[in-house]
Amino acid sequence: MAGPLAPTRTPETTDEEQGDLDRPWVTIVWNDPVNLMTYVTFVLQELFGYDEPTATKLMLQVHHEGKAIVSSGPRERMEHDTSRLHAYGLWASFQRDS
Amino acid sequence: MGLLLDQLEQLLEADVDDVGDDPVMVRLLPDGHRGDPEIAADYRELTEASLRTGKADDLATVRATLPDGGGEVRLDADQAAAWLRTTNDLRLALGTRLDISEDSEPPEEITGDEDHQMAVYYWLTALQGSLVDALVAGRAARS
Repeated sequence: MAGPLAPTRTPETTDEEQGDLDRPWVTIVWNDPVNLMTYVTFVLQELFGYDEPTATKLMLQVHHEGKAIVSSGPRERMEHDTSRLHAYGLWASFQRDS
Repeated sequence: MGLLLDQLEQLLEADVDDVGDDPVMVRLLPDGHRGDPEIAADYRELTEASLRTGKADDLATVRATLPDGGGEVRLDADQAAAWLRTTNDLRLALGTRLDISEDSEPPEEITGDEDHQMAVYYWLTALQGSLVDALVAGRAARS
């Protein structure tokens, strides 16, 4: 299993992503009745390198508010993050930040 | 467990076109974007094949490390991750079929097929919970 990745994900904006695309894209994890709370926390740490308190806070936000933004950046990277979450069975999607 | 793996394998081998109709497949291979079918279709084209392959590889790993007739299972980190994802996929599939909610509880007695499936679901939940705990403990020990 891969070790923790870099803890923060800074959006890297290139020239062609400017203009209308100034707003970054985000990856959202949605609440669902199957995924265990401990599992969601574990996966967020594993995939994004979040420390345990950060991952737990995001997991609780998903649990109580129904969703949480777990990463932000260019669309391609949000698609990638979403697919990594889907590989772990988390209910995730990406969208332009609102 | 072997039987459950067979069922998941059949699901994963089903046609790509089937995803739209079956709530279980929608849950295993969800839309990447909510609200924009075009972006969702792009995402599916980009990722679905590798998601299916990943799930099939995980399943093969679980099958290969599952001892005949039960017994102790010892896993390295990659194998444990495969077990984690596969048991979760099984729970997602069963949980969706059984319409599990956050208020659902294990059956007190098994009187029918649905109780039986519920019991299997909660057994998988316990298995997965203990796997997560073991991996979290392992990570804490390494750091």
